[in-house]
Amino acid sequence: MSKKNKSQANAMDDRMVAVEKEPNLFKAAFLALKNGDWAVKCSALWMGAGYLARKQYVKALIMTLYEVAMLAFIFVVGMPYLADFGTLGTVQLEYVFNMQTMKNEMNDYDNSFTILLFSVITFVAIVILFFSWLANLRAVHKLQKRAEAGKHINSFKEDVKSYLNEKFHITLLSLPVAGVVVFTVVPLIILIAVAFTNYDQQHMPPDSLFDWVGIENFTRLFTNGLTATFGYSFKTVLTWTLIWAFFATFSNYFLGIMLAKFLLNKKTKFPKFWRTIFVVTIAVPQFVTLLLIRNFLSDSGIVNSLFAQAGITDFLKDIGLVAEHLDYVPFLSSPGWAKVMVIIINIWVGVPYQMLVATGVLLNIPADMTESAKIDGANEWHSFWKITMPYMFAVTGPTLVTDFVRNINNFNVIYLLTQDVYVTTNQSLALSKAKEIDLLVTWLFRLTQENYNYKMASVIGIMVFIICAIFTLVAFRSLTKGDKERMFQ
Amino acid sequence: MKAKKIIKSVLRHGFLVVLCTIWLVPIVWIVLTSFSTDPGINIRNFFPEEYTLVNYHKLVFGSDTVSQFPNWFKNTLIVAIATCIISTSFVLMVAYAMSCMRFKARKTLMNLSVTINLFPGVLAMIAVYFVLKNAGLTNSHLGLVLVYSGSAGLGYLIAKGFFDTVPTTLREAATIDGASEARIFFRVVIPMSKPIIVYTIINSFLVPWADFVYAKLILNSGISSDWTVSIGLYNMLDRTLINHYFAQFCAGGVLVSIPISILFVIMQKFYVEGITNGAVKG
Amino acid sequence: MKLKKFLALAMTGAMALSMTACGSGDKKDDAGNNTSNTGSDNTGSNTGSNTGSNTGNASGAKEEVTLTMWGAEEDQTMLREMADAFIEANKDAVDLTIQIGVQSESTAKDTILTDVETAADVYSFPNDQLNELVAAGALMAIPDEMGRADIEARNTSGSVAAATVDGKLYAYPRTADNGYFLFYNKEYLSEADVASWSTMLEKAAAAGKKVTMEMNSGWYTYGFFKAVGLDSTLAENGVDTLCDWNSTTNSVKGIDVAQAMLDICKHEGFIATEDAEFVTGIKDGSIIAGINGVWNANAAQEAWGDNYAATKLPTFSAAGSEHQMYSVTGCKLVGVNPHCKNVGWALKLADWITNEANQVKSFELRGNGPSNINAAASDAVQANIAIAAFAKQQQWAAVQTVGGNFWGATETFGQTLQDGNPEGTDLQTLLDNMVAGITAPVQ
Repeated sequence: MSKKNKSQANAMDDRMVAVEKEPNLFKAAFLALKNGDWAVKCSALWMGAGYLARKQYVKALIMTLYEVAMLAFIFVVGMPYLADFGTLGTVQLEYVFNMQTMKNEMNDYDNSFTILLFSVITFVAIVILFFSWLANLRAVHKLQKRAEAGKHINSFKEDVKSYLNEKFHITLLSLPVAGVVVFTVVPLIILIAVAFTNYDQQHMPPDSLFDWVGIENFTRLFTNGLTATFGYSFKTVLTWTLIWAFFATFSNYFLGIMLAKFLLNKKTKFPKFWRTIFVVTIAVPQFVTLLLIRNFLSDSGIVNSLFAQAGITDFLKDIGLVAEHLDYVPFLSSPGWAKVMVIIINIWVGVPYQMLVATGVLLNIPADMTESAKIDGANEWHSFWKITMPYMFAVTGPTLVTDFVRNINNFNVIYLLTQDVYVTTNQSLALSKAKEIDLLVTWLFRLTQENYNYKMASVIGIMVFIICAIFTLVAFRSLTKGDKERMFQ
Repeated sequence: MKAKKIIKSVLRHGFLVVLCTIWLVPIVWIVLTSFSTDPGINIRNFFPEEYTLVNYHKLVFGSDTVSQFPNWFKNTLIVAIATCIISTSFVLMVAYAMSCMRFKARKTLMNLSVTINLFPGVLAMIAVYFVLKNAGLTNSHLGLVLVYSGSAGLGYLIAKGFFDTVPTTLREAATIDGASEARIFFRVVIPMSKPIIVYTIINSFLVPWADFVYAKLILNSGISSDWTVSIGLYNMLDRTLINHYFAQFCAGGVLVSIPISILFVIMQKFYVEGITNGAVKG
Repeated sequence: MKLKKFLALAMTGAMALSMTACGSGDKKDDAGNNTSNTGSDNTGSNTGSNTGSNTGNASGAKEEVTLTMWGAEEDQTMLREMADAFIEANKDAVDLTIQIGVQSESTAKDTILTDVETAADVYSFPNDQLNELVAAGALMAIPDEMGRADIEARNTSGSVAAATVDGKLYAYPRTADNGYFLFYNKEYLSEADVASWSTMLEKAAAAGKKVTMEMNSGWYTYGFFKAVGLDSTLAENGVDTLCDWNSTTNSVKGIDVAQAMLDICKHEGFIATEDAEFVTGIKDGSIIAGINGVWNANAAQEAWGDNYAATKLPTFSAAGSEHQMYSVTGCKLVGVNPHCKNVGWALKLADWITNEANQVKSFELRGNGPSNINAAASDAVQANIAIAAFAKQQQWAAVQTVGGNFWGATETFGQTLQDGNPEGTDLQTLLDNMVAGITAPVQ
């Protein structure tokens, strides 16, 4: 029997190593229910039972309290909301003014968003309780087996100690993961759910209710008509987002490396001094510099008056870069100029940072690599492309991917530079509140902040996720392939 | 030959001067405007006609309903310090667990974190707001700290990359000596990771100074003395205010930038080491 | 191994924390922050019981009431004084605390609609936001018992109309000056010059100066179309907009108006500016006339000194004849949030802020044109150049009520004209596209 058990355990261990996934847990819990003694079986209802039977009183108490707290939360707080989850509420807000008390008397109304919020929290709580229930069964079963085999059973003190040693990761991860769940996962689930509702300005809690509408919003994003232009706007904005991400990422990357290389060159005197100047520009908060640049370049801003004085505006008019009747350069207010300008300004913002990173990497470049190039008599340009860049690329390739994704979601630069300044001249875009210069995220942001169109914003958010996910998967797959090849070299 | 060398050197440094000028123009403009006697935007000349310290004086001593800079600075500093402590701990904790320990859910958690990171951050904003509201934490600096640092664990990748470079032999030796994981974390890995700690501290410390989106959403009572520097300064550029407060905005920008710049310049070395070692492996 | 379990523990901890926090948050009215958190989670049921307990209170000891109020940056000091006077006047009946927050009027709607429940109890906003605020349930209709008739009697009919939706009065008029008229510099332009766009533009161009207005805003461009009888109005459902600006059957066609606007935009003596640029322009002397409102009267007076003047809007020429440009009858309103815990006192406060004495005060301190009939009739108000110009314009002015899609479409149309229609698109097409955008159902 014990032998069989052991081989079973071994097999389980093997599987645990092979696939680091959940099935083990289900199976283990199932086995616990099937093979466990009365105490283990009791644990299915009362999570502390298994520990009590092994005289782990404190643990039994903790688990009991945990179970009671979770169940109390789910049934007392969560259930009333969960019951309304299907309809997202039916009772609309009404109130009467009571002259006697000088107060408004409101009815017991439903708030769709609160229902959604608490339903999601309750769902999460149920999932957590379920998994902890499984894990608990497995744990008490293990405990039972240890007791039967006459092995040592941990005292509470020893248990606590294990959380500083072999279970230290649990101690380390619990708070950060809880933070992520509360502040990222739950909100994301809620917003994903909103994509399937009609939550917009006409359906805003607390005054109105919103309701499930299925995939209507997704179809809206892909249809186009005279009065429904989300399809057109999405295509336009997506195209520009990708163009932007491409240029923003690669311009910063290459220029940053070149600048770093230039400063590292032995012929450059006082490299520290120069580097410090660039670093200072990182240290000024972005919103200060960007808002400043926005005013700097505004239609009646200082650059425009200097340009007009110096006759540059007229020159640009002559060569057709500025429309004939304008007496200023529309740096941030016409589509063509604005798109070029935001990319240039992004270089201004991003290159110093990229330069810092590249400097660090370049300093780590194995000396023999550059030495051998010198012996080969390669000139600087040649060695830059043949030695420096491949090395940089091998080392920082993955960050290029993350930078690309970050640029797709680069909210600050575009928003701060063009908000209140840029007005679209395209009625189709205007109807769906987009602008030529918008990225998907800035469009999404303005949809929520200015138009309360949460349903469409959520749909766009999901699309952004899908795009980023596809891109990341493809890029990492090809990158890892490349890495393997390089390792053989 | 020598002449050619000198010319080359002059060209090289001339080029650098041009580059630095381009990079410094907006910064110089902030500084100059902050000393301008004209409270609005000077759109005719780069250099102010007259210089004065009055904008700084107003900003620091003459608080009015619009400008509460000392309060903002204090608020932001408190929020930044709290954020910095929580975020840095979270990042280092997660990074150590993911880098130095092996456990079953590790891969799953890492994949999940990558997936979550792909969602645009602004999407969840309104839901975060309502979560905080239901917890009674809107209009409080605690709420703001939680928003800034709550999800900090997701940004562990660079720190993990750095920890990966700590030789495993060191940890193994410590284990043989009977040190617990906690002891290895505090006594072996942390002391060796000064650059990445500095990097994480600087980054998390800067978040509250730069963010205006969440701050504006959460501190929505309109009580301007509760604001952080970024909402306060952002507000000064409101259409109705810009002509009276632009110079003060610049002065505020300068005052915020000075300490951060000093921090950056001093910590530059660690910062670079931290990010490069982290990014190389991460 | 027990990772999941431990995570679960931690999460419950967090949840339990947040639970207790919101449980207590309901009762304690968070000392530090001033928002009246009207039952954020277990909403309705709670309010009921609160009301009950307070009924007992009202008859007994002095009630403690906390109100929050939002007003514009520039008005803060004045509002504080008014609020303090209100506290003083009611100190026998109630123990009042009033907190005043900053909320720029032009973005009041954006902040309030994000979360109506935590928005201020009393707030100030321009009347073009009224519809959306009413639709979102952010405004309390003023009950008859709270002196509705009096408000309607003491304020100008235009301002009352601007605060009324579907026969219900939703706000207290505070000013009646939120429209536009013409500012000009007498040094360069005479009264006769500014009667029409064409002479004004010619003079300005000759002097190397500019005349200005904001073109990419439906609030201003409304004045051109309304002048020839073309209109934009709210549809019956209260959210969509009806619009006939592209009419080809009207005596003056839409395309004629658009052509007139485009001619102005393309004129050498014209520059399109938004508010802040207008002020910069008059300060540095490049702008000698412009369409704007009383909020910039002080800036204009400072810049031009004795040469400062203001009058009705100019005429423009379309389809061969001159048409008097229209303005909007706009006002600043003070509204009350129905989610306020002490709505009665909030209504009284709003009433106080907008009464005759305080409108006079607001005129004296801030130059706001009163909506109160008596206050507006005073000699001082009549003598104010900007307000006189506004009053002069009132016979060519209308209350503008439009739906949400109006603003974006007109902004885009105005921007195209302002850019000089660079692609040379047929004006009728531009108009048709704009009207399609304006009238598209809000979704």
